[in-house]
Amino acid sequence: MSGMRRRDFVKSIMAVPVTAPYLLGEQAATTPPPAQTGAAAPPSSQPAETAAAASQQRLLEPNGMQIAASVPDQFARTEAHYFSDTQYATLRKMCEVMMPSLNGYPDALQAGAPEFLDFLIGASPPDRQQMYGSGLDRLNSESQSRFRIPFAEVSAEQADALLRPWLRAWIPEHPPSEPYERFINLAHHDIRTATMNSQVWSVAVTSGGDRPPGVGMYWSPIDPDIQRYV
Amino acid sequence: MAQEIVDVLIVGSGHSGGMAARILTEKGISCLLLNAGPVVDFRKDRELKPAYELPYRGFNMPGRLPHVFQADEFNANVWVDEKEVPYTFNPQHPYNWVRVRLFGGRSLFWARQSFRLSNYEFKAKDHDGFGDNWPIDLGDLAPYYSRVEAIFRVRGQADHLPQYPDGNFVVDDSPWSGSMQRFVNAGTKLDVPVCKARSAMGVDGLASSINLLLPDAFNTGRLTAIPNVVVRELTVDRNTGLVNGAHFVDRHSRREMYVQARVVVLAAGTLESTRLLLNSGLANSSGVLGHYLTDQVYGPGIICSVPEARNGKGSNGIMGGSALIPRFRNINTKAKNFLRGYALNCYSSPRGMSPSVFPAYGAELQKKLDSYDGSGFGTSMMGEVLSYYKNHVSINKNVVDAWGIPVLDVETAYTDNEFNMARDAVDVSVAMAEEAGFEVLCKNYEPNPPGYSIHEQGTCRMGDDPKTSVLNKWNQSHDIRNLFVVDASSFVCGGWQNPTMTILALSMRASEYLAEQMRQRNL
Repeated sequence: MSGMRRRDFVKSIMAVPVTAPYLLGEQAATTPPPAQTGAAAPPSSQPAETAAAASQQRLLEPNGMQIAASVPDQFARTEAHYFSDTQYATLRKMCEVMMPSLNGYPDALQAGAPEFLDFLIGASPPDRQQMYGSGLDRLNSESQSRFRIPFAEVSAEQADALLRPWLRAWIPEHPPSEPYERFINLAHHDIRTATMNSQVWSVAVTSGGDRPPGVGMYWSPIDPDIQRYV
Repeated sequence: MAQEIVDVLIVGSGHSGGMAARILTEKGISCLLLNAGPVVDFRKDRELKPAYELPYRGFNMPGRLPHVFQADEFNANVWVDEKEVPYTFNPQHPYNWVRVRLFGGRSLFWARQSFRLSNYEFKAKDHDGFGDNWPIDLGDLAPYYSRVEAIFRVRGQADHLPQYPDGNFVVDDSPWSGSMQRFVNAGTKLDVPVCKARSAMGVDGLASSINLLLPDAFNTGRLTAIPNVVVRELTVDRNTGLVNGAHFVDRHSRREMYVQARVVVLAAGTLESTRLLLNSGLANSSGVLGHYLTDQVYGPGIICSVPEARNGKGSNGIMGGSALIPRFRNINTKAKNFLRGYALNCYSSPRGMSPSVFPAYGAELQKKLDSYDGSGFGTSMMGEVLSYYKNHVSINKNVVDAWGIPVLDVETAYTDNEFNMARDAVDVSVAMAEEAGFEVLCKNYEPNPPGYSIHEQGTCRMGDDPKTSVLNKWNQSHDIRNLFVVDASSFVCGGWQNPTMTILALSMRASEYLAEQMRQRNL
């Protein structure tokens, strides 16, 4: 892939709102100065007790320690156990068809999207679980009745015949309301997000010299409520 | 043990509380400000992170903040947790109560659109016969708007439209982009005004109480602020009938505290101020406390593409910029099936398109995204919600928050007026886009649930008659003369405008009145 082509591709994916698209007009607060990197090294001429105190301070603030932290996805695969075997096979096929490898970027299967969505939906409220469960069941059922094979075994053309009629153009936050349309369109959105927000996708983009998508300003818990033990 | 009686107790640190603190301390009055949440440290509390480092890859944590559509995994920690401070509603009529309790409140995150109300809002009943007039008009508030606009450095252009009053602007004389000029021309043809947007520039990228209001108050040496304390109830002197203090609880330890005050100013945000009054059993001889809840209709709009900007051709001055279509319905003509009106935010985006606007997937979708990149144009509606007595909040004594304080039950719903208005807003958007030669890719008629706009107003309305209103025209309780409520709960109606400039102007005006009353020893 030429560098130019790859950059164009990245440019288009960068714009994809892989995070919530309508943050409450968050203000561009003043860019904070770089974090202090700890107490400056004391000049050698300072009194011994001051140097000792500075040394103690360095112990308390172990600046410069490089901990090579990683994320588990770099080495491990999510164990899927929420969906039934048939539902999971249907979801894998949706991922394969709707988010293939393009321009050298990982596809949804390489990004672990099916396993991640199995985890995510398994941890979700009942209405989302119901939407996915019944949607996957219906997709497989329609494949059986139309092509007499499970959706997991359909060709690309057969998958297109089953999926395309349900795709809609929709404004973010307002997906279709008809339940099956809603499932097809939201599952597509989720598959793209799970893929493009994956670590393997980020590595692929970064290795091309571009800024990866899915980077945002993360707010830590701010002085959260304390635990109570009595 | 401290038993000092504070001169003025201010509850809340957002725009309204910050303005009250600034004005009162500059007038020589000592204030104690209480805030329910912590102080933000912008250096410590946030950092850039890739989504894959977050537990849910950038998806919302399942089940968290189900009524804050603005939340995502990156910003989830800035919103009030719905389990920690719950509220209730009929599931058939959901309400999105979007709250921030950090020091500075929602002033940390607002979208900074800065508008004045016009006399089409202040004197709405005179114009169309519905609802009630405010006890003040634009002339009363204009001097305060001007001072607020100077503090917040509002950028805009004079348009000389009575429904879109001009202000004290940093003049925006930038030219329209090519696509926006075409939209302006389409508006001229269809008799729809397309104006420059108006926005608070603030200072150093922030237009919050924490950088524009509270620093001046602290510099007087007369302001003390306590974060992380949740006010439970106001108390009243039985002999005088005046408010004389507040019970509050330490957010972390749950230690119960009490402070005495000569005057109380509530600025906790529309529904929290009203909740506190309802839980205190105060200021409700009229029986309208909690009633006339309104907000604004958000959600309806369209997304288009500017054909000439596709395939990398959008960089030649065609794309970029934003505009505002102020209310134009029911000004000189009468709409057939709704009262009042709406505004439209318009934007021309040189950035990428959302994949959801294309009914495609895989390589076909990518081809669309590549081709349409940088050609997006859209509108979104901001519509007035009519003010009805039946839309109200009350205390649900069966549910309490993390500090044992009874929560609010919200009962409100949109009517045909709002739905008809939304349909008109989208149809007008489509007509203008097609007149401008844009391709309309998708449209949405469905409003987001009430509350989504984060512009909740009313429930503690002002008025001249103590039998039909809670506050007088100075934001002062009719019942308790040393009690003031200076946030948007005082609004009689909300119009289509972002309420922030009006909240700030009202708080400034009320605080100067309060200071003068204290100087004359009337309080």
